[in-house]
Amino acid sequence: MTEVWIIAHDATGGNALACAARALGDRVVAISLGAGVLPGADLSLTVQVSPEVPVEAYACAVADLLSARGAQLVLTDATTTGRLLAGQVAARLGVSPLTASGVVRGNSLQVTRLVYGGLAVATDEVISPVCVLVVAPGALTAEESVRAGQSEAVSLTPAGGLRLVETRAKGGTSVDLTGAKRVVGVGRGFAAEADLELARALAVKLGAEVACSRPIAEGVNWMPAERYLGVSGATIKPELYLAIGISGQVQHLVGVNHSKVIVAINSDKNAPIFAHADFGVVGDLYQVLPELTKSL
Amino acid sequence: MRIVACIKAAPDDADITVGPDRSLDFTRAQPRIGAYDLNAIEAARQLADQVGAEVVGISVGAAEWDNTKLRKDALSRGLDSLVIVSGEPDADSFQTASLLAAAITELGECDLVLLGAGSSDRYAQQVGNQLGALLGRPTLNQVNAISLTDSGVRVERLLEDAEQVIDADLPTVISLTAGANVPRIAGMKDILAAGKKPVTQVSGQPVAATARLVSVLAPEQVDRRRQVVEGDPADTAAALAAFLKSL
Ligand SMILES: Cc1cc2nc3c(=O)[nH]c(=O)nc-3n(C[C@H](O)[C@H](O)[C@H](O)COP(=O)(O)OP(=O)(O)OC[C@H]3O[C@@H](n4cnc5c(N)ncnc54)[C@H](O)[C@@H]3O)c2cc1C
Ligand SMILES: Nc1ncnc2c1ncn2[C@@H]1O[C@H](COP(=O)(O)O)[C@@H](O)[C@H]1O
Repeated sequence: MTEVWIIAHDATGGNALACAARALGDRVVAISLGAGVLPGADLSLTVQVSPEVPVEAYACAVADLLSARGAQLVLTDATTTGRLLAGQVAARLGVSPLTASGVVRGNSLQVTRLVYGGLAVATDEVISPVCVLVVAPGALTAEESVRAGQSEAVSLTPAGGLRLVETRAKGGTSVDLTGAKRVVGVGRGFAAEADLELARALAVKLGAEVACSRPIAEGVNWMPAERYLGVSGATIKPELYLAIGISGQVQHLVGVNHSKVIVAINSDKNAPIFAHADFGVVGDLYQVLPELTKSL
Repeated sequence: MRIVACIKAAPDDADITVGPDRSLDFTRAQPRIGAYDLNAIEAARQLADQVGAEVVGISVGAAEWDNTKLRKDALSRGLDSLVIVSGEPDADSFQTASLLAAAITELGECDLVLLGAGSSDRYAQQVGNQLGALLGRPTLNQVNAISLTDSGVRVERLLEDAEQVIDADLPTVISLTAGANVPRIAGMKDILAAGKKPVTQVSGQPVAATARLVSVLAPEQVDRRRQVVEGDPADTAAALAAFLKSL
């Protein structure tokens, strides 16, 4: 029997991870940091966490618990918290966490990850006795499952040195770009935040979601981070992706190149995006977009 | 006070080419400091200037650092000195973090260790997380803003659906986001001064790898129609509208 361990830090994400973990073993045990009993796990070790420290302060104690229970395969999700927990736990266990965009379990465990900004895929074979995986969204096929949901309360002590002063929930509605049939992507070709209205007007006509390149989300902060596409952002497979003022760097393309049709509007006819587009318009978005929206 | 900025040089991915067998060719790719590591240098410099601290850059790397242009580039952006730890640039996060931890311990007093959001080749976003654990210090990732307080630092940290404000005691290890600051562009004076800054080379004890690399291959290319129109905006927009309606 293979046992898979997960470290859960929120109820919804934790349960999704528990279901995904079943692809790698037949018994799923969760260390639940303030996330309660997970219905998708066979056993949840529930930990009461202090609201005064970030949950990652428990990483060391979690690692020691994993060692004590003989865990060999440990999974976290790929969120900011999941990654920090994975890195810290793995360090304490003496291994490197492996980020998995895909997992193959044969005689050995093989994991794929993107390298060089998505230019290539590296495949690693795990050779250490303990393995900590950071599971990227979509890396494992989740199997909806509800288990007996046994639980056991454990008490862990957080490490010192970090104090949570405040948590501000982010405003705005969250979006699932992966489900969108049509997506309009905006890039640095837009000179000002207000100009994004041109793209929004087009998106309304097309019935499309609006997404962006990374600098628009992390740089000028005109859009929330969950809306950027690419190797470090979301990966989409819509029927139509329309890239406006986006140069087409590989880090961006890797998030969109499974789109059925790609359209690009860019003022530079040598922009790399045109080599990856089905239909390209060489032109100034400020002139082309109003005309396009009008004629749709 | 001393601040350490961890940086990695990797082949410039804009010049990596893909062969017909989907293998990567690095012959034209020059080593470059990862774009996100520049945020670590910038934050270190800005904080150091506030309190008159020293900024030491540390990189685990090999022959790429023989390149004087690369050294000058690193030193012209705000480092006071550079320590090169000989090691494999392809090493995994734990191997790299172990070498960095040893080098930082060797340096002596370090109050703040800053890292970028991710290296440009591996982008595992993990070296900082592991380094902090190895040094046994408070550790945070995804830090979007950082300021010095009386007893440590106060940071803003980005989560998927929230923003946290956290106080961390010094010494601490912090990985920044790409949006944490705008890295400076070095001027002529900085580049000239860079040539005179100290560079030390140290060696460390490598640890075992967690995984064995099986292959590195570019994904299969998707064939696109690559139809391109150019000219009067009204005409091109009409052509695109017709294309979209045909879908
Ligand atoms: C490790 C790593 C990870 C990364 N991850 C991601 C990621 O996940 N997603 C991502 O998107 N990026 C990512 N990047 C950044 C990526 O390399 C590019 O910098 C980014 O995608 C460029 O965004 P852009 O195309 O909007 O901007 P630019 O490259 O600046 O392109 C702007 C384009 O707009 C065009 N333009 C300008 N004015 C007009 C006009 N008036 N009308 C029409 N066109 C105009 C220009 O010709 C240009 O092609 C990553 C980088 C690194 C190093
Ligand atoms: N070889 C290295 N030498 C020094 N710092 C590194 C090295 N590799 C990674 N880093 C730092 O760790 C951060 C995260 O890297 P990674 O975990 O590889 O994505 C980078 O942005 C750098 O600041």
